[in-house]
Amino acid sequence: MLPFRKQLRGWWLRRLPLEAICQLGQRRIYLLPTRFGLSLLLVAAAVWVGALNYAVSLAYVLAFWVLGLLLVAVLMAYRQLAGLQLQVVPAEGVFVGQSAECRLQLRNPSDLIRQLQLQSEHGGELVSCTLAAMQEQPLAIALLLQKRGWHAYPAIRLWSTAPFGLIRAFAWWRPDASLLAYPLPLPDREHQDCHHENGRGRNHGDDEEDFSHLGEYRQGDTPRQIAWSVLARRDVLASKRFASQPRGQALHQLAWQDYPALLDLESRLSRLCWRVLQCEKAGQHYRLQLPGRVVEPQPGQRELALAALAEFRLPT
Amino acid sequence: MSFSLFRQGEMAVLLALGLVMLPLFLHLPVWLPGLVLAMLLLRGILQQRQHGLPSLWLLLPLLGLSVCGLWLNLNTLIGREGGAALLILLLGFKSFEARQLRDWQVLLALGFFLTAIPLLFDQSPLSALWLVVSLLVLTWAMLRLSGCAVQTPAKVAVQALALSLPLMLVLFVVMPRLPGPLWSMPHEQHQAATGLSDSMEPGSISQLVQHNEPAFSVVFDGPAPAPEQLYWRIMIFDDFDGRRWQNVGGLSRETVRLQGGERIRYRLTGKPTRSRLPLLDYPLAAPPGGGLEPGHLLKLANDQEDVLRISAESLVGSHYQSELSRSDQDFYRRLPPGNPASRQLALQWRSQGGDGIGFVREALLHFRLGGFAYTLSPPLLEGDNSIDAFMFSTRQGFCEHYASAFAFMARAAGIPSRVVSGYQGGQFNPLGHFWQVRSTDAHAWVEVWLAERGEWLRVDPTAAVAPERVRQDPVRSIPALQTQLPVLGRQVPAWVLQVQQGWQAAGFAWQQWVVGYDATRQLSLYRWLGLGDVVDTAAVMRALLCGAVLVCLPLLWWWRRHPERLPLQQGRMLLERALLRQGMVILPSDGPLDMLNKARKLPTPAYAQLKQLLKEYAAMRYQQAACSPQQTRLWLRRVRHFCADLTRRK
Repeated sequence: MLPFRKQLRGWWLRRLPLEAICQLGQRRIYLLPTRFGLSLLLVAAAVWVGALNYAVSLAYVLAFWVLGLLLVAVLMAYRQLAGLQLQVVPAEGVFVGQSAECRLQLRNPSDLIRQLQLQSEHGGELVSCTLAAMQEQPLAIALLLQKRGWHAYPAIRLWSTAPFGLIRAFAWWRPDASLLAYPLPLPDREHQDCHHENGRGRNHGDDEEDFSHLGEYRQGDTPRQIAWSVLARRDVLASKRFASQPRGQALHQLAWQDYPALLDLESRLSRLCWRVLQCEKAGQHYRLQLPGRVVEPQPGQRELALAALAEFRLPT
Repeated sequence: MSFSLFRQGEMAVLLALGLVMLPLFLHLPVWLPGLVLAMLLLRGILQQRQHGLPSLWLLLPLLGLSVCGLWLNLNTLIGREGGAALLILLLGFKSFEARQLRDWQVLLALGFFLTAIPLLFDQSPLSALWLVVSLLVLTWAMLRLSGCAVQTPAKVAVQALALSLPLMLVLFVVMPRLPGPLWSMPHEQHQAATGLSDSMEPGSISQLVQHNEPAFSVVFDGPAPAPEQLYWRIMIFDDFDGRRWQNVGGLSRETVRLQGGERIRYRLTGKPTRSRLPLLDYPLAAPPGGGLEPGHLLKLANDQEDVLRISAESLVGSHYQSELSRSDQDFYRRLPPGNPASRQLALQWRSQGGDGIGFVREALLHFRLGGFAYTLSPPLLEGDNSIDAFMFSTRQGFCEHYASAFAFMARAAGIPSRVVSGYQGGQFNPLGHFWQVRSTDAHAWVEVWLAERGEWLRVDPTAAVAPERVRQDPVRSIPALQTQLPVLGRQVPAWVLQVQQGWQAAGFAWQQWVVGYDATRQLSLYRWLGLGDVVDTAAVMRALLCGAVLVCLPLLWWWRRHPERLPLQQGRMLLERALLRQGMVILPSDGPLDMLNKARKLPTPAYAQLKQLLKEYAAMRYQQAACSPQQTRLWLRRVRHFCADLTRRK
C-alpha cells in the first residue's frame, strides 16, 4: 500500500464538491480492473504471445476476444453507475457514542438492474443493494459519533463490479448534510425535576389535553395520535401533539447555573441533557437556560433543547 | 443432475472447465483428461454436499504420483503435449484447493487459458466452433460466479461476446504478425508424416494414392497451364539397389540454365514434409525462406511442419540444361547387378535409336505397344530380377513401376537417368478459384540426361501406357481406383461433386484467411486497403483508427438501444394494435375493463379469450407482488398467439 495513501485520499476527497443531490456521470465514475480482470488480461497476453510464437491464428482469435470482453465489461460496469441519482435524507440526531445513520436515497432512473455496494470513507460496514428498474431505495450507512456537535456526512464510495466481476466502477460522493450528536446523558440525581406520574407520559393522549400542533411521526405514537387526514391528503405520516399542561403545574428550570462552577462543560451539558430527557419522558414543562440561549416550552422543544446543548459553546 | 444446480457459480465454473477440456481427449492420452474430469466431478459433488476438502497432505502425494504417470506416459513435461497435460493436472488439483471466490476466479482464468491448448493441435473450423462454445460457457460461468443480479446470464454472455466480436476481428486483422517464431519448441517426432516418403519401392505411391487427402492447393496468377503440364516436383531418387530407389545426394552442386518455356506465377499453400514443398517444373528461383538444392528442388531453411504459403515462379515447358561431369554421368548410370534380359533389351533399343532421344522414343514405343497395363494392384514382384519380371512377365504396374523400369533401362543403356517423385495434375475448384492437388495425384516419372543436348529431359512412361492419367483425374483414369477409393473419391453425381467443391472451397478460404493469415497475407491486405506499404506503427495506428469506427457502431447501437419493454407493457401494446386492426380504437387512458368493453363486437370465443387475458393482465399489473417475471412472459406468449389468431381469422 502506498505510504501516504490515506493522506492523499483525504486531500483528494476534501476537494470534491459537497452535494445534496447528485447524478453520477462520466466525470465522476472511475473504472479500474479488479484482480480477476487483471488475471484475465494476463491470460489474454499469454495466449497472444503463444499465438505470436507458434503462429496459431485461432489463438489470436481467443486472445483478442478476451480483450474485447474486458473492454465490453468496462462499458457494462460503467453502466452500473451511470445515471444513478443519489440524495441525502435528513437524519435524526443521536447521542454521543451511539451509531448514527447517514440516510440516503438511491434512485435508478433507467431499466437496468443495478447492483451496488456502498461504504463510508472511514471504512466500516459495507452496504449492498440491488436496484430494480425505476426503483428508489432508501439506504443508511452507520457512523459512530464520538464528539458532541455537528458532524458532516462522511464521503461515500459507491462501487459495482457487476456483471462480470472483471472491472470495478466506482464513484465518490460527499453528501452535503450533517449529523448532530447530542451530549451523552448523565444521570443527575441531585436535580430530579420531574416526578414520574406512574410513568404516564403526555403522549398517551388524555382526553383533557388540548391539541397543540402536528409533529413528525415518532415510533411509539399511538394510532389515535396519527393525523389520518394529513396522511390521506399528502401521504405524510404525522402525529398530533397535545399540550397537556395540567393547570398549575410548575415550569421546571433546567439551568446552566445549577451546577458548581468547578464542574466542566461536558459534564454539565450531559447532566442537562439527562434532565431534558427526563422531563420529556414525564411530559413535564421545562425551560432550558444556557448562557446566551434559552429554550422555552414550544412545539418540538425536545429537539430544540437537545440541539442547543449539542451546539453549545462557552461564550468567549 | 438438474440444470438448476449450475445456478451456483462454483458449479458453473466446474461445468465450464469440464467442457473446455473435452477436445483434449483427442490429443492427449485418454487417462489424463479422464482423470481431471473425474476430479472436477468429485469436486462438484463435494461442493454440492457442502463437504470439507481433502487436506494438502493427501493432495500433494497424489499430484506427484500423477505427474510421474504423466512423465512415464509422455516422456516430457514441456512442449505442446507435456505442457497441456501438466496444465490440466494442476487445474484438477487446484479445484480441490478452491475455497474462496478468489480461488474460483483463478480457476476460471485458467479455463480461458486452457481454451487455447487444443488450438495448438488443431485449427479446423470445428475447433473454431468449439472455441466459441467454450468462450460462451466460460463467460456464462463468470456471470454466475460474480453472483450478480442478471436474470439471464446466458443472454448477457451472448451479448457481451457479440459486442466484443468486431473488436476481435479488427485486432485479428490489424495487429502485426511475426514472420517467424520468438523461440522454437522442442520438436515432436512421433507424428506420422503423410506425403511422399524419401524412397520409392513398388507400392509406395500406390498406397498413398488410396488416401485421397488434400496435399496442397495452388492459385495461379493468370491462366493455368494445361493439366498435362502440371508436374509438381518434390524429390529425386538417384540410386537403385535392385528393389528400391532412394536419394543418396550424389550431386553436390549443379549449374542450371532454363531455356524457353512459359513463365507462370503462382501461390502454393501446403504443409511441408521433411522441409520440402512441391514446385512446378521448373522453378526460376527459390521462394524466400528456402533454397534450390541440386536437381532444382525446393528445400526449406527451417524445419517446420505448419502449413506454409509460398509465392513462386516457374517456367513451364522449358529445357533444363545442365552440364554433367564424367564422374557425375557415371554416378547416374550406376546399377546393381542382375536383370540381364532387361539390360539386353535396353542395349538393343540404344542401338536401334542411335542417340539418347532415339532410345527414349524406342522405349516409349515398347511401353505403349508391349501389352502393358496400368493398375493399382499389380502382381507382386519377387526375387532379385524384379525389373525383368516386370518387363517380361507381369507387365502390370503403377507409375512407380514404370518410372523405376524406365530409369533402369536408361541406365542400362548408358544414359544417365533419375526418378522424380511428386504430384501430377490437380483439380480446379471453380468456387474457390484454386487448384487442389490431392494425394491421389501423387506420381513418379523419370528424367534422362541427353549428352547431345546437355539437357535433362522429362519422360513420363506412365503417360505412354495410360495417356489419360496425365490428362485427367487419376480417379477417372484408373477403374480400379473407383472401387478402392472411399465413396466420396469415386466418380460421383454432379451435385455431390458440387457439394464437395463447395466444402473444399470453404476449407481453402478458411486455410487462406484464418489459419494462414500471416505476416505476408497481412501485408498484402494492408496494401490492398491502402493503409500502408509496410506494417509499421503508423500503418497499424491508421488501421486501428479505421477499425475503431467499425467497433463502435454495434456498441453505440447497444448503448442507445431502446430499453426492453416489460412483458406486460408489450402485451398491452400488442392487444391495442390487434384490436385497432379490428376497428376498435383503444386509447392510452383505457384500462382493461374499457378495453374489454370496446371489444364487445368480437366473436364470442375470441371475446372470452380476451376477457381471460385482460383479467390476468389486471391481476398482474395491479397486484404486482403476486406475479413472477416468468408468469408475465408466459402471458405475453399467449397474447401473441391470441393476436395472431385474431388477425388470421379476419
